[in-house]
Amino acid sequence: MSADAQAPRAYWAIFVLPLAVYLLAFLVAPFVNIIVLSFHTYSPTRIWTHELTLANYADLIDASFAMVLLRTLRLGLVCTAICVLFGYPLAYFLARAERRVALIGLFFLIMPLMVSAVIRTFGWLVLLGRNGLVNNVISSFGLDRLPLLYNETAVVIGLTNVFVPFMVLPLMASIERISPALEEAARNLGASWFATFRRVILPLSLPGLISGCLLVYSAAISALVVPMLMGGARVRVIGRQIYDQLLISYQWPNASAIATLLVFATTCFAFLVLARLRHSARQEPRA
Amino acid sequence: MALTPSGQDVGSIPELEVRNLLKRFTARSVVGPLSFAVFAGEFVSLLGPSGCGKTTTLRCIAGFETPTEGSILLTGRPIEGEPPNRRNVGLVFQNYALFPHLSIFENVAFGLRLRRVGDAELRRRVGRVLELVGLPDLAQRYPGQLSGGQQQRIAIARCIVLEPRILLLDEPLSNLDLKLRLSMRRELRELQRRLGKTAVYVTHDQGEALALSDRIVVMSNGRIEQIGSPQEIYERPANAFVADFIGSSNLLDAVVVGVESDATIIRTDRGLTLRANSTAHAASDRVVAMVRPERIRLAEAGPTPADGENRLAARIKEATYLGQDLHLSLGIDSGEELAAVTQGSAAPRLAVGRPVMIAVDAADIFLLRK
Repeated sequence: MSADAQAPRAYWAIFVLPLAVYLLAFLVAPFVNIIVLSFHTYSPTRIWTHELTLANYADLIDASFAMVLLRTLRLGLVCTAICVLFGYPLAYFLARAERRVALIGLFFLIMPLMVSAVIRTFGWLVLLGRNGLVNNVISSFGLDRLPLLYNETAVVIGLTNVFVPFMVLPLMASIERISPALEEAARNLGASWFATFRRVILPLSLPGLISGCLLVYSAAISALVVPMLMGGARVRVIGRQIYDQLLISYQWPNASAIATLLVFATTCFAFLVLARLRHSARQEPRA
Repeated sequence: MALTPSGQDVGSIPELEVRNLLKRFTARSVVGPLSFAVFAGEFVSLLGPSGCGKTTTLRCIAGFETPTEGSILLTGRPIEGEPPNRRNVGLVFQNYALFPHLSIFENVAFGLRLRRVGDAELRRRVGRVLELVGLPDLAQRYPGQLSGGQQQRIAIARCIVLEPRILLLDEPLSNLDLKLRLSMRRELRELQRRLGKTAVYVTHDQGEALALSDRIVVMSNGRIEQIGSPQEIYERPANAFVADFIGSSNLLDAVVVGVESDATIIRTDRGLTLRANSTAHAASDRVVAMVRPERIRLAEAGPTPADGENRLAARIKEATYLGQDLHLSLGIDSGEELAAVTQGSAAPRLAVGRPVMIAVDAADIFLLRK
């Protein structure tokens, strides 16, 4: 290979190196530490000892933990589904809107992300509480007040609100790349509006849809603040479990095992989905 | 029985009729009102510079734009209220618009699957049109693996497999390189003739329109300037715009100074007096005189001019050698400048600066309304 072809590779390293070092020091190293810790024995006096064990993982085979795990995954799925439902039409609209409208829409879309999670969540508490705005309106019609807080519904409302942008942004990028002429071609060939969506728009926006789902799902199952404040004690999720084990019970090895399991599960899921996506991309080369 | 130039009975119902079509985008941007008819088996081009409304007209016919006023009739039946998927008019896009996620087979089968055509018949029909466009072996490929010309043929195959009433083509050759464009042009015309399919073709390329069409609708600024066969449009342009847009022509602003029984005498604004075989104008009318460059002959410096011939003394100001042709720019003594075309082999005799005598037949000077 010529020197010319080698040159870009050296530059490439310079661009990537700072972030790589940062991630190595502050993400990979602590995470390796967590994995290592998860195989050590808990000690009530010294937190952990050098004795190696699998007990922390064995402890996870437990009905109450299984409940927490299932609830977390279920919340993640429901939240992802709702984000798709709300996010897809919005992403389509923004992708096809004229630039000015799209920019205003994007601003409103990411506005929730500019407010701190705690403040935003307290806003929801004011709205959804027993004497909150929503229930006051409901009761003014003579109806019974609804339990809108401290249950899974509340957590789903809170999470969806924050994560919709994570669904919309990759979807929008994906839909923008689909030429409107393809939609017109489908219509011209006899496709109804729905058939055009199902046979052309949806398959071509699949990469964006999958990225969006991955982002929302992994963010939803690792959420902590929203489930804690809006779900209360009854809606215990994995994030809360790790938090309690770590900071309240000082069960560091056990918390590490849960964290390792969570990361492992999320990573496997993402890899499977992305591998499937690459596979289909190979089958359908683009011009 | 009256016939259109392409041999259609005028009394029969046109395959497609556009009646007083008007599309208003903004107060200043309006297409129409325009009316024209396309008869069965005819190949009609909408020709004009970009922004003249030809694509808007096509999109109204396909159903992607809603006309503000007027109607569009397909064999006598108004379709302007129908959604695009119910119109059964095939549209071939400028960028082909093949579905990148579907194989060539599935691209062509797209419309058939929507119509729930059975598997055996679907295979037969897709196979037949792929054969027809000369690409039977590419069924399993994907659009990204095809060349521009191949994609173009698949786009056409995808339309004609549905046997639409008419075929609409939106600048289908403009993304191809010159050589391919010329061969695709011939192929397209041959295919359209063989299928007997009525076609409306949008283009800004006058060469394409002249080569392909039975009739041409020349448009500018949202209006129709002239409708006619390629020969009519080229040889008898209705006005100065058409004369200028189709082919190259010398256009001279002039005033009618004399009317004879078989000819009109005009004087150009620079004082050149010419004789034209036209009787449609009265004295002191403002006209535009048009002369095609290939109708300007280099005359032998001889004695008397032939009957009905204009003779002018000129000097060669510029000569561009293009192989077969030699393009000349001639300065007339009165100050006019005329473009002329002659055979390339004459180049050695026609050096820049040489004085020449030119002859233009009175029959080759057309007087157009301004």
